[in-house]
Amino acid sequence: MPILEINDVSSGYGEVQILWGSSLALEQGKLTCLVGGNGVGKTTLLRTVMGLLRPWNGTIAFQGQNVSRMPAFTKAEMGLVMVPEGRQLFTDMSVYENLEMGASNKRATPKLKDNLERVYAMFPRLKERQAQKAGTLSGGEQQMLAVARGIMADPVVLMIDELSLGLAPVLILSLFESLKALRELGITILLVEQNVQMALAISDYGYVLAEGKVELQGPARELIRNEHVREAYLGL
Amino acid sequence: MQQITLLLTSLPDGILLGFVYGVAAMGLTLIWGVMNVINLAHGPIIALGMFGTFFLFIRLGINPYLGLVPIAIAGLLLGVVIYFTAVHRVINAPHLSSLLATFSVNMIIIGLATAALTTSPYNVDFSLGGFKLGSATILGTRLVAALIAILVTGALYLFLYRTRPGKFIRAVTNNRAAAELMGVPSTRILALSFGLGTMLAAVSGALIATFFPFNILSGGGYELKSFVIGVLGGLGNPIGALIGGLILGVLEGIIPTFMETSWVPVIEFGLFVVILLVRPKGLFGAKK
Repeated sequence: MPILEINDVSSGYGEVQILWGSSLALEQGKLTCLVGGNGVGKTTLLRTVMGLLRPWNGTIAFQGQNVSRMPAFTKAEMGLVMVPEGRQLFTDMSVYENLEMGASNKRATPKLKDNLERVYAMFPRLKERQAQKAGTLSGGEQQMLAVARGIMADPVVLMIDELSLGLAPVLILSLFESLKALRELGITILLVEQNVQMALAISDYGYVLAEGKVELQGPARELIRNEHVREAYLGL
Repeated sequence: MQQITLLLTSLPDGILLGFVYGVAAMGLTLIWGVMNVINLAHGPIIALGMFGTFFLFIRLGINPYLGLVPIAIAGLLLGVVIYFTAVHRVINAPHLSSLLATFSVNMIIIGLATAALTTSPYNVDFSLGGFKLGSATILGTRLVAALIAILVTGALYLFLYRTRPGKFIRAVTNNRAAAELMGVPSTRILALSFGLGTMLAAVSGALIATFFPFNILSGGGYELKSFVIGVLGGLGNPIGALIGGLILGVLEGIIPTFMETSWVPVIEFGLFVVILLVRPKGLFGAKK
């Protein structure tokens, strides 16, 4: 049984419908990616799954439980955690306080120390800067902090929106490496990316979203060889 | 020479009063900073704090400083009730909605209190004596009120920077959606912030009642002063509010030495407009 099952979900903003019945299923312990062009509904899908937007239709099941109508903070408490697009850090708070806030849910709080060691080992730069205000970090460090804050929430499923946006290729590579490390720890990951090639290269399974619907899906190494994907997204 | 004597007489009073203004302003700016809501019921809640002291002291004989504890608790609960009945449903609506909502609460409190208590002045007949400091007489009640104001500021600062719920408040202030994503129940945190804001308003009123006569409309003036202080000291920062209050208090101590006391509000609000024009972010670089 998939650990997160998104079934025929539609949603949007006000009168504007963005998602037209999307279905995804995440297998436990796998790295899944959701790719597609700008404005096809990737972020809307994540926001709907988290409960920042209400689904108009369809259901969301997490660990076999219907969570479609639950508020975001309850889902975080259950282990469904999202690293939002554009980092959304607490810019006026220190790096350490941001990590501490990551562990605000009841399940993560007792594990604060262990998880802190884990993220400092993964991103030593954050340890050096722990007393600094998050708003003063460089773009790459902010993205590290955003991911680290997500790990502090002790996720069962971690959903990351646009990990690579605006970052230098070297940084993207090292962040993608840390995703593999997270998968080794048994965390199920949903990576939402516009950088289709790199996302497919590290994922186990992929979904291609177009116009609010899943257009294609399959094992990542098959998708990367798919004619349509190569033409439309990889420019080959 | 005569003016200097006059200044030395009125300045200490102004300074002591300034600390208490600071506490009132903290209540307004905390709510404003956390949820972008301007609480127009701030003044009447200050006045309710004044009546709290009156009833606890005159009717029940409770020492006004001990009375601060039940008044603070009642202020906190009142704020949570106001949040859930009037503010929560318009929290994401345009500003006008929340202004109207808190203005309605303002009218309800004033209406009920006017019916029950009339608008004739009340006075808490309480004194701690006083002592001479040069040419000035320092009233004990004002000195204690200022000390309590400093304690309250320190406690609020420690709460916001050292405790979990305090850090949650700062996280929600910074980015409500992100806080929610990390497992912070943001609605509860907003209600708590509103409760703390009204608690501070009620406590400042309770302190003011120990040295000034009042009625249910008396809070209005302090509400306006709170706006000026908010602009001076920035939003959501207790130390900034205390300094802002102090500046206002000093002004109130200095101005009467060279012009009529009735000019005090003219200068204060003139300053308010000038700061808004020149430094809309506040003197100490507030963020909103």
